Amino acid sequence: MEIVLLRVAAAGYLVATVAVLASLVMRRELPKRIVVWMLASTLLLHTTSIALRGLLVGSIPVATLPEALSLLAALVIALFLAIQIRAPLLALGAVVVPSAFGLTLAASVLKSGAQPLPPVLHSIWLPVHVLFAFLGDAVFALACSASVLYLVQEHRLKTHRGRGVLGRLPSLETLDRISASCLRWGLVLLTIGIVTGIVWAHEAWGRFWLGDPKLVFSLLVWGLYMVLLQGRMTAGWRGRRAAQLTIVGFMAILASLLGVNLFGLGLHGRAY
Amino acid sequence: MSQDILLVGMNHRTAPVEVRERLAFANGRLEPALRTLVGWPGVAEGVILSTCNRVEVVACGNDPALLAVELPRFLAHEHGVDPALLAGRLYTYRGRDAVRHVFRVAASLDSMVVGEPQILGQVKSQYAAAAAVGASGRILHRCFHRSFAVAKRIRTETAIAEKAVSIGSVAVELAQEIFDVLGDKTALLIGAAAMGEVTARQLLAQGVGSLLVANRTWERALDVAGTLGGLPVPFDRLVRYLPLADLVIGAVGGPSYVIGPAAVRDALRERRGKPIFLIDLAVPRSIDPAVHQLDGAYVYDIDDLESVIAEHRDARAAEAARAEAIVNSEVESFWRWLEGLEVVPTVVALREKVEAIRQQELARVLAGGSWDPAQRELLERLTRGICNKILHAPLTVLRQHPETASADALAAVRMLFALDARPRDGEVEEDED
Repeated sequence: MEIVLLRVAAAGYLVATVAVLASLVMRRELPKRIVVWMLASTLLLHTTSIALRGLLVGSIPVATLPEALSLLAALVIALFLAIQIRAPLLALGAVVVPSAFGLTLAASVLKSGAQPLPPVLHSIWLPVHVLFAFLGDAVFALACSASVLYLVQEHRLKTHRGRGVLGRLPSLETLDRISASCLRWGLVLLTIGIVTGIVWAHEAWGRFWLGDPKLVFSLLVWGLYMVLLQGRMTAGWRGRRAAQLTIVGFMAILASLLGVNLFGLGLHGRAY
Repeated sequence: MSQDILLVGMNHRTAPVEVRERLAFANGRLEPALRTLVGWPGVAEGVILSTCNRVEVVACGNDPALLAVELPRFLAHEHGVDPALLAGRLYTYRGRDAVRHVFRVAASLDSMVVGEPQILGQVKSQYAAAAAVGASGRILHRCFHRSFAVAKRIRTETAIAEKAVSIGSVAVELAQEIFDVLGDKTALLIGAAAMGEVTARQLLAQGVGSLLVANRTWERALDVAGTLGGLPVPFDRLVRYLPLADLVIGAVGGPSYVIGPAAVRDALRERRGKPIFLIDLAVPRSIDPAVHQLDGAYVYDIDDLESVIAEHRDARAAEAARAEAIVNSEVESFWRWLEGLEVVPTVVALREKVEAIRQQELARVLAGGSWDPAQRELLERLTRGICNKILHAPLTVLRQHPETASADALAAVRMLFALDARPRDGEVEEDED
């Protein structure tokens, strides 16, 4: 059942991708509202699918790669919709929505047997750690999307091109600001995610598991983003370089997500 | 009875400004002219549109041929000009074409700069003037209100007005691609030549917060800064003020560049990477093109701006085709309404005419003998039944399909039943005898 819902959600994101691009090209009021409602209802299906999966495995469903991808996609869309309430930045959807489609599609295609967690890992730390870690990833995904749009807009301005088919994009200043504030929030969430993970591991096994590849990767990403944030706040790093670094950081997050799961590295990758 | 709409006028394409200005209705002259217009032969309703690019008279009346002669005569009379001056410069639109022209004017499809937004406001206020003095009636009222709705539809459904086609507005548009809000931004105008001043004025009008003005001659800088509400800065210490500027307008000619990459690099460092948008209006150029290579500096010279404008012109032409399609469908729906308008009075007139005949004949028969109430009742029912049966088919056609009841069919009904003939006392009886 939940796999059917997930596939329907993937289809919904595909349709929303087309709609978001169409609304940018046509610049009309109506499709924007349609896109938002389309995404909201798709997200509802998607969340239901995740909840059903959670009931099946008896915890937050993140033990397998498809589950992790699906949860990440849902969080990214939820954050994107939350941003729309405060500031209408539908253009961000041109990057966010297709990404969510890709993630959900991958999640629904990949084989995914249920993998219940061993009893030793059942604790309050599970939802706390997972939620903070994934929310952090989702916020970084938004930062990355804003940075991608920044590079597109920057390229247009540098090559003296007109607006072209995509119509009007948010200004460089806006995109840079979104990217910077996502960076700040993402770092806070990632920090909490890492700390809770370490504490949880200590509680479960009595060790800190500092050699876990996922932890190493996360610390690397954390360091990279910390340097970037420092540079932004003190040295006035902004613009293209900052955008490129933000994208590199998110690529590292994706690599760690895919890497540890596909190659079964360490605690996060092991079939518990 | 049947009303037609006629429009007579001239615009920037048919008449030079020397002629247009002689026919323009200045403020204060419009109301008296409108009063004269509704008293003019053949005119039932009238509206005058007078802007710097056009003078047009729209009128409603039941004799379009008469209006076509009288409206030019009205224009010539109002301005005391020789009618020969107008010959060949006036265009005349009738019926649907007149409505289409009004819609196109309001939607800024007939403007010199297609899509410019001011015209709608002008049409609105001049229609309001006509309505205020009672010159416009039911038909023009609807026609103009539809034209406002059409203009709004075109504005929201097409991108016709979205594309800037002047240097100043393109500069504003590009600035908005870089900056989020303009209110906290500072523009630095270098060289107080006319073009730079116009662009600076437009940037300020669009909300740019403050302005610095530098010029080779200090007095002129003072002068321009005074009129624009800016701050004059010394030309020879220009570079010191560069870090303050989010927008730079280079409008000073000269043998060498006024702003080079080194100065901008320093400024960017001092601005901690906040971008600078440099607009170079001067030929030869005043800003070294190498500045554009710097991260965070965006230089647009006059050719870059012109190419953006050219691109926008092409886009506008494509949007204009969509706008024309909207206009055409709106004209058709207005015209259906206008034709439907004539259906109701025709239906009423036809019913009244037949009822009058029935009453008259009935009275004659009843007066000629003694009838008991049952027989009277029978006659009453019989005559009413016959009349209703005869009227049923034509009335059904007219009422159920007001849009398909063509003007021809209406005219035929009115002619065959002599509905437009002025009823005189005893007319029906005379026909009988």
